[in-house]
Amino acid sequence: MNTRRTWAIIRFALTSLFLFVIWILFTSSLGAFSLLFGFFGSILIGALTYQIFLPEHEANFRFFIPHFGALLRFLALMVYSLYHASFQVIKAIITGNTNPRIVHFRTHLRSDLARAVLANAITFTPGTMTLDLNDDHLTVHWLLCTTTHAKAAGEAIKVKLEHALGRTWL
Amino acid sequence: MIIREVIALIIFLIGSVFGIFGIIGLFRFKDPYSRLHAGSLCGTTTVFSYLIALLMLSPSFSSSARIVVLIVFFLISAPTGSSIVAKFIWESEDAQKQRSSMAKEEKHL
Amino acid sequence: MTDFILQAMLLMLLLFAIGILIRLLIGPTASDRLVALNVLSAVTLALLILWGVRTKQTLYLDVALVYDIFGFLGFLAITRFLKDRKGDL
Repeated sequence: MNTRRTWAIIRFALTSLFLFVIWILFTSSLGAFSLLFGFFGSILIGALTYQIFLPEHEANFRFFIPHFGALLRFLALMVYSLYHASFQVIKAIITGNTNPRIVHFRTHLRSDLARAVLANAITFTPGTMTLDLNDDHLTVHWLLCTTTHAKAAGEAIKVKLEHALGRTWL
Repeated sequence: MIIREVIALIIFLIGSVFGIFGIIGLFRFKDPYSRLHAGSLCGTTTVFSYLIALLMLSPSFSSSARIVVLIVFFLISAPTGSSIVAKFIWESEDAQKQRSSMAKEEKHL
Repeated sequence: MTDFILQAMLLMLLLFAIGILIRLLIGPTASDRLVALNVLSAVTLALLILWGVRTKQTLYLDVALVYDIFGFLGFLAITRFLKDRKGDL
């Protein structure tokens, strides 16, 4: 009971802090009234929504607080793969030979946030588009399919991303 | 100042090439999935490049800070939106027709 | 130079918007129209930011931010609405 209450207080504090930082970022003013208003507003909204923002079963800081250097490396990888993927799709548009197929696979990532980011990042890799994310089961449409074996296809899509994400969020 | 403008021009030209091919792909492909691939991916790349170019050209600090926040939100929201559309195609009927035609092709092979 | 780049960018974005609108109008199924709408929303976002930089007013950037956040909530609503009436897709 006691650990649950401490964990709830920590979640509430983190939610309020996050909202306050966003408030300062958006208003971009450091006046006393603005800061006070933002502080009480973020405490009120944090008290109302911390159950949804950070669910109770996410019982580890590494589940939602990213490793900063790894996050920057992951963003750089994303920007690179965005251009790479678009280039591959342009090649497919010019030559006109596509090989669309739907593949299923599972992910090893444990936190909800990392899974959602993985599902979004798969959209940026060459010719793939996430259709559905159900717990740890991903359904992916692959435009430029190279292998017919579904499991090998899944490995080819996700291994690099999962490696980069595993260092960021667990 | 002139260096920022040259960088912006180069990024703008790259983004325009991606955008033109994306529009061509939107008309050339036949099924909704491939159209989504061409339109969404090339569109995201084009808009991302344009946002970087506009960041280079932005007149003041407050507007560049806002554009950085916008780029981050855009990188989150663009794949989410295309994922919603992809899920809609997956659950709608014409995609089921296409799935059955794909299965037929496989049998034929 | 800056004015020229902004003018060219505006022209290109309008060209893209016209191409996507043609796809939106002739798209045979609801899925094609929704794909076109998805790309069109990104182009609209770029147009808003371009206008904010061109007229040097940050108000347009705030509008663009809100448009970006609530854009895919609109998509969610549209897909939910279309999923309910599957008969005349």
